[in-house]
Order: sequence, then C-alpha cells, then structure tokens
Amino acid sequence: MKRTAWMNWARRGDAVRRIALVAALLGAAGRSVPAQHLLVPMDDSQQNHLKAYGLTFGVLKAGGKAEWFLNYRGGSFLLPDDAPTRRRAAVDGITVQPIDDGAVTVIRREVASANMDAVTLEKAPRIAIYAPAKSPPWDDAVTLALKYAGIEFTQIWDDEVLKSDLGKFDWIHLFHEDFTGQLNKLYLGFRDAGWFMEQRDRDLATAQHNGFQTIPALKKAVAWRLHDFVQKGGFLFAMCGATETIELAMAAQGVDIAGPFSDGTPVDPDADSKMDWTNAFAFQGVHLEMSAGVNAMSDIDGHQVNVPARRQALGQFTLFNFSAKFDPVATMLTQNHRKVVPDYYGVTTSFNRAVLKSGVTVLASEDGSPWAKYLHGDFGRGSWTYLGGHDPEDPQHNIGAAPTDLGLHTGSPGYRLILNNVLFPAAKKKPLKT
Amino acid sequence: MRRGALQRLAAMLVVAAGALWCPLSPVAAQAQNVLVQRAMDLENAGKWRDAVIAWRTVLSTGDVAQGILGLERVYQQMGQDDSVLPPLDSALARAPKDRLLHGAQLRVLRSLGRDRDARAAFAAWTQLVPNDPTPYREYAQQLLNDGRATQADTVLQEASQALGGTKTLVIEVAQLRAALGLWGQAGPAWREALLSEMYLEQAALYSLAPAPRARRDSIRAALRAPPMKAPLIRTLGALELAWGAPREGWRVLSALTAADSAYPTWSDFADDAERLGAWLPARDALVAMMALQPSPVLTVRAANAALNGGEAASAVELLAKVAPTLKPAVLRTQVLPLQVRALSALGRGAEVEALVARHADSLDAGTRHGFVRQLAWAWIRSGQIEKARAALVGATGDDEDEVTAWLALYDGDLKKARAGLKRPTESTTQVVLAIAFLSRTKADSAQGVGAAFLALARADTNDAARRFERSADELPDAAALLLGVAARLRSARRDDAGAIGLWQRIVIDYAAAPEAAEADLEWGRTLRRHGDATGATTRFEHLILTYPRSALVPQARRELDGLRTGAAE
Repeated sequence: MKRTAWMNWARRGDAVRRIALVAALLGAAGRSVPAQHLLVPMDDSQQNHLKAYGLTFGVLKAGGKAEWFLNYRGGSFLLPDDAPTRRRAAVDGITVQPIDDGAVTVIRREVASANMDAVTLEKAPRIAIYAPAKSPPWDDAVTLALKYAGIEFTQIWDDEVLKSDLGKFDWIHLFHEDFTGQLNKLYLGFRDAGWFMEQRDRDLATAQHNGFQTIPALKKAVAWRLHDFVQKGGFLFAMCGATETIELAMAAQGVDIAGPFSDGTPVDPDADSKMDWTNAFAFQGVHLEMSAGVNAMSDIDGHQVNVPARRQALGQFTLFNFSAKFDPVATMLTQNHRKVVPDYYGVTTSFNRAVLKSGVTVLASEDGSPWAKYLHGDFGRGSWTYLGGHDPEDPQHNIGAAPTDLGLHTGSPGYRLILNNVLFPAAKKKPLKT
Repeated sequence: MRRGALQRLAAMLVVAAGALWCPLSPVAAQAQNVLVQRAMDLENAGKWRDAVIAWRTVLSTGDVAQGILGLERVYQQMGQDDSVLPPLDSALARAPKDRLLHGAQLRVLRSLGRDRDARAAFAAWTQLVPNDPTPYREYAQQLLNDGRATQADTVLQEASQALGGTKTLVIEVAQLRAALGLWGQAGPAWREALLSEMYLEQAALYSLAPAPRARRDSIRAALRAPPMKAPLIRTLGALELAWGAPREGWRVLSALTAADSAYPTWSDFADDAERLGAWLPARDALVAMMALQPSPVLTVRAANAALNGGEAASAVELLAKVAPTLKPAVLRTQVLPLQVRALSALGRGAEVEALVARHADSLDAGTRHGFVRQLAWAWIRSGQIEKARAALVGATGDDEDEVTAWLALYDGDLKKARAGLKRPTESTTQVVLAIAFLSRTKADSAQGVGAAFLALARADTNDAARRFERSADELPDAAALLLGVAARLRSARRDDAGAIGLWQRIVIDYAAAPEAAEADLEWGRTLRRHGDATGATTRFEHLILTYPRSALVPQARRELDGLRTGAAE
C-alpha cells in the first residue's frame, strides 16, 4: 500500500483502525525508540476519568504543557511521556497509551478533519473554593472531585473574599451558599438543629467583625466582590444554590429581599420591581419567592425540590454539541464520554429558560422541559459557569447523607463536567472565530 | 278494580320489592359460593376464557366485588387489562361510592399507563366523597407501591388542603417520607403511625429498613423518644436486626417488660437471630424467655446458641442447670453432645473424659468415636498432646484421620499431616493456614513449625508468632508465608513495631513471594494508622507499581485516596 493511500485509509477509519494504526506505528518505531507522548484516552477505555484530570493538572503544575483533544475519544489529553507522569498514571490506575510523533501526527490529521480541535493547556489554574473552615469535604461535589483527582486548591471564606486580592486566583468555585443571607431558608425546618445554629452564629460573627449588621448584608457584599472578580477577568464556577442566590444578591444591591427571620425586617413588598438585573450574569425578570414559609428563593429553579407541591421529578439531561473549532470554550465544558447524564437534585437543580438573559450559552438541558441544567457566559473580562444540582452521583442528596465515594464512580460523567471547568482556565487563549 | 284484587297486587309488589332489597337467602348465597368457587377453580387452572365467563356470571348474580376483582386478575393474565373497564364502569354507575371499585379503577388505569385518566378518576372520586380520606389514601398507596413517591406526595398535599390536615393519613405520610428518602421525617412519622395503629409494625419495618447507615440514628432517636411504648420497642428491635445490628436489637427488645406479652416478640427475635447466625443475641433472648416460661427445650437452644457464638462457658452453665431435670434418653441425645463440645472447646479434657465414661454404656460406636475426637481436641487445647494421643489410641488407626493429622502437624510430621488434611471437615482460619503451609513446603518434617501451630492451638499467640518467625529460616520455601503469619499475629497483638519488621523482611527478602503485596499493604496500613502518611503512601505506591496485577492494587488505591481526601480509615 502506498503511503498516501495508507494514510487515507487511516483517516477514513473507525476507532479500531485508529488503534491498529497507532499500534502499527508503535511497532514500527521498535523498542529502541521510546514513546514521546502519553495519550490519555477519555472514552470508555479509560479506567479512571476523574483522576485523568488530576494527572493533566499535575503536568501543568510541574511546568509542563498538555493538549486537550476536544471531541477526540471523549476529550483525550496528550501529555509528555516522562517517568513522573507514567508513575502517577500507574499509581492512580489511569489508562495511558504511549505514542510517538508519528501517531500524534495521525491523530492531528483526524482532529483537523472532523468536529474536533486541539487546545493547548499551558498553565495550572490557581483555584479557590469558597467554603467555611469546618466544611466537610463531602458537603461539596467540587471539593470532593478536586481532592479525589489530586488537584490543589485554596479554601477561602468571607474574610478572604472581602479583604484579600481575589486576582491571585484564576478560578473560584461556589457551592450551596445562600448569598441572600437567608441560610437557604433552612430556618423553617432546622432552626433548633445544632449545626444550623452554629452556622448562623458563625455567619453573624463574621458579619459583625466586617462591619455588617446582618448576614444578608454580609453576603451581598461578598457576592459583589465575586461580581468584581468576574468583571476583572476571573472565572467563576457555581453549583447548587449558589447559582441562584448569587444572581439574586447581585441584582438586589440596595433592595431588601431577605425574610424577617434573617435580618429582622420584612421583605420589601416591591422587591421584584426594584431588582437591577443588569448586575446579574445569567438571569433577568425573575420573580422572588416572598413567603418566608416557602422554601424557595425565586422562580429560577425549575425543580423546586424543597417545595413538595411544586417539586418536579428528576429526568436526564443532554449535553449539547458545539463546534470545536468555532466554540472551543463550550466544547471544552461539555467534553464527556456520555452525552445523556442522569439528573440530580440540589437546592437549585435547574434553571428556568424563561428567565435566562439572551447571550447565555445553554450547555445542557432536559429534552422537552422548560429548564436548562448547565449554563455558561461571559461578563466583563471574565466568565462564569453554572451547573445545577448538588452531587452528580447522589441524586437525592439529603442533609447528613453519607459522603459520595468517588472511588466507586471513577467514570462519573456528571463529575467530569465539574473537572472540565477546572481545566478550562488552563487553556491558551485563541482568537475567537465567532 | 276490586278491593281484594288491589290488596293482592300490593302484596305481590311488597314481595317483589323484598326479593330485590333483602339480602340473599341462604340458598342463594350457597349457590353464589358455588359460582365463585367454580370461577376460582377455572382461574387457578389457567383457563382464562372460561374464567372470564364464570366471573361475569358471579358479577351478574350480584357479587360485584368478587366479580370485578376476579375479572381484573384474569384479564391481567390475558394481557387485556382494559377489558375490565366496561364492567367496572357499569358497576360504578350502580355503586358510585364503592371504595373497592374505585380502587380497582385506579389500579387498572395506572397499569394501562393512562395516568391522566387515573388522575381524573381520582379527582371524580374525591368530589363524590368530599371529606373522606379514603380516595387520597388509596391513590397515594398505589402510587407509593409503584415507587412514584413524588406523585404520592402531591396527592397527600392535596389531602392536607382538602381535609385540613393529614391526621387520617398517618400511614401514607410515614410511607411517603421513607419512600422519598426523608429519613429524618420518616422516623417521627412512623412513630405517630405506630402509636395509632399497632398492626403497622411490619409495615414500618418494611418501610424503614432501607434507611442508609448514616441516617439510621435519626430513626432510632424518633422511635426511642419517650414515652417508648411497646410497638415502638418491637419495631426498633426488628429494625436493628434487619440493619445487621442484632446485639443492639436485643438491647432494645430487652427493655420490654418481662411479661407474657413480651414472650412472642422475644421468641420471634430469637428465631430470626438464630437464622441469621447472630448466636449470642439469640442466646440472650432465649434466656429471657426461659425466665418467663422455663423449658428444657429453650435451655438446650440457648446452650447451642452460646456454643455457636463462641461462649462455651455459658453453654456449660446452662446445660448444667437443665441436665438433672431431663430423662436419660433426652440427656444422652440432646444435652450430652453439647456438653462434650462445650467442655472440649474450653480445653477441660478431664471433665469430657468423666462425662463420656459416665454414659459409655449407652453410646453407640459412632457417637463414642466422635466424643473421643472431642476429648482429643480438649487435651490439645490444654496443651496435653500425650493425653490427646492416648485418647485416640484404639479409636482410630487411620493415617487420614483429621485429629491424627493435627497431632502429626504439632509433632512436626508434615508428611502425615499432609495425608490427613486432604479433605478437612472444617474451614477455620487455622485449617486454611495449615493447608496453605503444607502445600507450600516440600519438607516432610519441621518440628519448629509444629510447635508454632501447637502454640497457636493453645491460643498462645505470642509464643506462636516467635516460633513461626524462627521457623522461616528452617524452611526457605515457606519462609514468606511463615513470616506473614507471624506478622499478622503480632499485628493482632498490637505489636505494630514487630509486625512492621516482619513485613519489611518479606518485602525486601522475599519480593517475589505471594505474600509480598499483602505485606506492603499491611505495612502501609499500619503506618497510616500511626499517622505516617508519607511512609504509608510510599508503601501503597510501591505495591501498585511493583505488583500491578495483584488483587490488592484496588485496595492500595483506596488507601491512597483515603490519605488524599482525609477520609476515615
């Protein structure tokens, strides 16, 4: 077979042919020539998808470079072949395939000819997680995922957000914090629970030593600092209740939207009309839940899990396909070996499409439903991503539930969405094509 | 018309009306029973078409409930569920408030996937009986049975609004809380239900048993809250047993007042605990029952449970109390074997010997042979090998006898031991260890190892560990195995420093041995337990990289994950 015909055969070929070709190239290289790259496949052949992100992060942290082959075998990574990387892959049980330059060339040709792209990852992002000091790691899926994958992060809380330079972080994550300062309205059912009282006292003390009279005032100020972080070029990733409440807090600067149980004063009866949605990232025209007796914040959440009469059943959401070459950001955020993912509840589970701002990119939604699950957008010089729900592998996730053991969910597609967000800020910026 | 004719007509009308409205006469009722029985027979025989005709006949004779339910079952078998709807609609037109018919209608519509129609039928039913909780209860129950908890929740919310509360639906509310995984609320809800209806204990058990481990305390707290009435105690006791905590279950149930009313509960618990192999809680329950109603049968069961649970002394004590009261035949067949086993387990050879001698005349050869083996074991356990050997003289000359094999092993005669332990009757840790050792070495004698096994039989683990370690030098082909045994014994004695030294020896000197990966893992675990995360990480990584095909690699990875995430060991 002539070389050109052979390459054409390879380009046309399916996955089996590709493997055969890579193996042939490896064989041709012989034992005397070492592989120069490690391909980390992210399709079903991968034994531990979650730790593969940690492996890639580790390479970047050590000063190395990596490539992310978007849409190629589930969003594979190309890493330099060196002893520490091989060692970590072996220890963590991550599937890697040593390949040489020839095989990489073949892959690049395939990437160039299809809806795929290669993105250079050049710098480990500096990550912060907004969580109180005593927060158990299993309270937050992101903390859980980062710890499991072995990705370093700094834990920050209200004092750090208000007083330190957030510019030292590339990426800040928020989970189910209530930025309206109403402690997720858990007052209704848990006001006598020890953990709730401790949380309330802690937040009140933080508010007072930062010069705020109430928890809602403190949390609004924190939300506004995070708003500035994004505006100045930071990347914010939020899940669960933080998505909805930070939006409300940003839009409600100067408006009392907190119930009397949290600040001693009633909600402003005209709060709905006074909200300034130009301050918010994702939503507009939202109606607040004014009743202190209803455990919901607004009509942003489509599932309303804590309001039995309104609660919607869980379904499954579908990740959208984007053009890897024209929408690399959206493509990065949706890299997965599964396109349909079982849904899971959170304080905020989903996002009502009717209140989305135009320009917001819907990354995933449930077919036929009025809600979206996964959103992304730009704001100022930065960007933000919202993922609804609390824990992708614990659909009901009740307070006090046992921690999720990620060792049992090494290929979790839901957790992959979180980790896509962690690596996204590491990507070398390309000029946008759209 | 004449007056007389009018009177006759009126009398006829009264008779006719009586025929319409009076209950069936005994003759008619008997005829209907025959029809029902015939329909049942046809149904049981799988003659569906004939059964349909028969159930329609039942329906036409006035037994609407039986007829409709029969048709529902038969049409379901035929895959024609919707065929029951026309007769059901007719029946409902005649008896629009009949609960049973409405329940059947909801059931059939749901099974056909006609959820909207089911919902409409439910709504129509609630309008017919506005203040009656029955429609809500029936529909919510059916939805719960289907696992559609959120829809059941909606129904109960509606009930709450329509009836001004859910007091009449406590069972459904409790089931719903559990079905939704709201365990913190399910406990109190079931408490309320159990205090209102005693017969719900089994339903509560079924509903609460799936609670995950982390949420069980909230259920325990709800059921234990004062006043702790008997239904709550019984339910919690059964739950603890279902949750794999029989000891805790008995602790709860033992709080029941010692009265005849407690006896059946304790008896059920003892039966279940015996079935689950929870021998010591079973023993305690049986002893409590004995205090209420003394019985030799219970005593023997309690002794057997104690013996199986490893408390031979307790068995001896129980049997001593009951033995004098029994007839010789019962004593010989039911009590004596247990006494011999218990005394043997305690190493009280002299007492076994005396007991067997006392009943020698009435024992058959097979039983006597078994007792001799128990006697030999008793002597072995007390370290008196010569007496054990003497006991076996005449009882068996068979080289393949298991007791003989053990004696040979203790003597260091590995060849004879190997022959006798080919097909062991038990699979205890010691048996498995002995077989592993014998198959590992080609040596035919090893007195040091024999002495080590003997020390182990005497439960002198310190001496056994020392001897196994020393024997490793004598038997290079089994050295790693012997060092591994010594390390495990030292670890069990909390001599971690000694154990680490042995594991280190295995990993360094016998890196190719099957025990090397285990040694790495245990070495790492011990270091982790002592807070040496770096050292532990080194060991786990060494295991993964050196023995990538070992079955222990996933465990090593989990240990590493635990170190990284700070999860509890």
